[in-house]
Amino acid sequence: MDPCRPFSRRRLLLAGLGGAGLAAAPELVLRAAERDVLLFGLTPVFLTSDLALLDGLRRYLEQKTGRSVQLVLRRTYQEITSLLVSRQLDAAWICGYPFVAFRNDLSLLAVPVWRGDTRYQSYLIAHDDVPAENLAGLRGTVHAFSDPDSNSGYLVTRAALLSLSATPAAFFRHTFFTYGHRNVIRAVSVGMAGSGSVDGYVFEVLREAEPDLLRSVRVVQGSEWLGFPPVACPAAAAASQVTQDLRLALLGMADSELGRQVLSLLRLDGFKLESPELFDGIADQVRFVQAAAQ
Amino acid sequence: MRSFVRLLDSNPGVAAPLIVTLLMIGVSVAVSKHVLNRLEETQSAHFRQLTGAYLDGLSTALHPYVLRRDPWEAFDALDRARSRYSGLKSQAVLVILTDGKILAASQPKAFPLYSTPPPEAGDTTGEPHLDHASGQVWVHRVLRDGGIEIGRIAALIDIKTLQEVRHETLATLVRFNAALTVIFAVLGWLLVRRAMQPVVRLSDHLALSTGGRLEPIAEIDLPPPDTVVGRAYRRFNAAAVAASDREALLQRLADEERRALIGRYASAMAHEVNNPLGGMMNAVRMIQRHGDNAEQRASAAMVLERGLAGIHNVVRASLMTWRGEADSSPLTAADIEDIRYLIHNEASRRGLELSWIVTSRVPTGIAAQPVRQIALNLLLNACAASAAGQVVRFETRHEGACFVISVCDEGPGMPEAARRTLMSDPAHASSGTGGLGLWSVNRIATALGAMISIEGPPGTCVTVGIPLECATHPEMTIARA
Repeated sequence: MDPCRPFSRRRLLLAGLGGAGLAAAPELVLRAAERDVLLFGLTPVFLTSDLALLDGLRRYLEQKTGRSVQLVLRRTYQEITSLLVSRQLDAAWICGYPFVAFRNDLSLLAVPVWRGDTRYQSYLIAHDDVPAENLAGLRGTVHAFSDPDSNSGYLVTRAALLSLSATPAAFFRHTFFTYGHRNVIRAVSVGMAGSGSVDGYVFEVLREAEPDLLRSVRVVQGSEWLGFPPVACPAAAAASQVTQDLRLALLGMADSELGRQVLSLLRLDGFKLESPELFDGIADQVRFVQAAAQ
Repeated sequence: MRSFVRLLDSNPGVAAPLIVTLLMIGVSVAVSKHVLNRLEETQSAHFRQLTGAYLDGLSTALHPYVLRRDPWEAFDALDRARSRYSGLKSQAVLVILTDGKILAASQPKAFPLYSTPPPEAGDTTGEPHLDHASGQVWVHRVLRDGGIEIGRIAALIDIKTLQEVRHETLATLVRFNAALTVIFAVLGWLLVRRAMQPVVRLSDHLALSTGGRLEPIAEIDLPPPDTVVGRAYRRFNAAAVAASDREALLQRLADEERRALIGRYASAMAHEVNNPLGGMMNAVRMIQRHGDNAEQRASAAMVLERGLAGIHNVVRASLMTWRGEADSSPLTAADIEDIRYLIHNEASRRGLELSWIVTSRVPTGIAAQPVRQIALNLLLNACAASAAGQVVRFETRHEGACFVISVCDEGPGMPEAARRTLMSDPAHASSGTGGLGLWSVNRIATALGAMISIEGPPGTCVTVGIPLECATHPEMTIARA
């Protein structure tokens, strides 16, 4: 699949059908209103590999919503987004890029607060062997992207290259997708890639949690501050009780012990309500890329 | 091989451990080679099974990613597999596409993405050799989808541990076999030494018997009679006693023969003395009757002188012949002439004609006693074998480096028993049937290193060639007539 191709409804629905086929639970094919379990989708915008974190998050949401909660994990952003858009999920923690791309189909539920802000940066990282000071210095390296639907793991770098009148295929020697920010850092750390595009929040969390992984990796440059990956729900279900319960649970996470434990593992301060304009910066980049593609 | 057999015969105490050592070395080499071959086969089979399972697992995990040409997932699969095959020391694993480029590698910095793999990783032919000098081998697995090749896996496996096991096994075998070889060689030496002890002892006793007398092994040193060695020692003692008895018997026979000879010579001497006595008595009576006649007195005195001279000669010859065993004076012409006097009476008594030919000067390097014994015994034997009127011929001459004594007669020829007595090894020849005189000749000639030959019939001609370099020999003292 061409990662440079912008989001489209048809493409997303096809992926969603495929994603439904990959679903672990049969109830996933039912619409949210037709089942009792709350389905919450997760993407690698945070460390989905931390099972203790996932278990804590599930238990907290069950405790606060009074419902059975099932966390739904998929390999790509696209699969989660398609499930969310097709209302096979009640909500999902997605990236700002798909939220912008499906702005009319999705409703903003809550935005994480990291270091007192609801914004984050995309990092261009490089192996210590690569003597680059900025994006231009990374020319000719093997570059690892996170996901073609990731803002920080693809879109930001793609747009930056456009500003240099370059494309990833022409600028880098080779590119590949790892479908996870942590994987991007691993690829650069072991030398498989000379450079990579990664979520700044994930990078900073790993700097504390797994410093050995970042031993030979350094940040070349950070992007402008953009809207933090939000928790979104289908627009059609924004007023449902399930959505309301979930929003309250997210916004009040810092108020309970279990919630604070989860936030501590996430290195987040909490969640708060934000207006969609928070993601205008990402929307500008999407338009910039789409314009270049046409 | 011949020298080895000679060594075994001459020194079994060295040869036997040497044989044991060589055999042990041969067995060790054969066993070590067999063990190492088996170990190599086992290691190879184990290695094939292990690498097969490893590559099977990798193939299953990598197949979808190779099909999608997904470098990250391929690397992730390799990275996850790294800790799951601890029994196999994989140094590097490459996932290679059909265009020969690397899709993923477990060591991405050494084998960059989409680079060309090293030539060694491309050789998919043949079985990996576990004795590769580098201690590493490449193993391969082709990935297919629907029968179409989509790529392959090349894994560099560290086999130093396997090689170390083989080297350690070889070292252990060498140490163990060397120790066994040394132990068996020492044991072999001790066993052979112990086994050879009776033989050595018998040999020592035989060496002590060079004087002609076997010394029996002391009774206190004899092992039990129900043992092989005990029986051997007792048989040796029995042989020693028998030899001693035989020696005593021979001595007795020799003494008797000597006494008989003395009697015969005493008779002959009396006869020799008696012959001139008649003339001498006549001369005395002539002096008594006609002593005043100077001419007759002088004639009688001459008869007396000749008679006394004859008696003197006979007495002197007898003294020379029988003066004793310790006489080692060199041979002279007078000794030859004495023999003539001694045999003359016997020849005359038998009515024989004596032919006496001494064609060369008598050598001075030969003892007189053994020559006189040889000549006298042969002449007596020839006289005994001759009929009246026949000729007995005595001759001395030089032939090359030998002083030759030849005694011939015209008798019927020497009997076979007498020939054996004269010609056989005197240590084994019997003197009973062939005559003690001939046996004595044989003994003396053997001691002198002389050669004896017999010619005839018709007649008998015995020739003894005495080497001139044979000086007065100490062993001549054993020669007795």
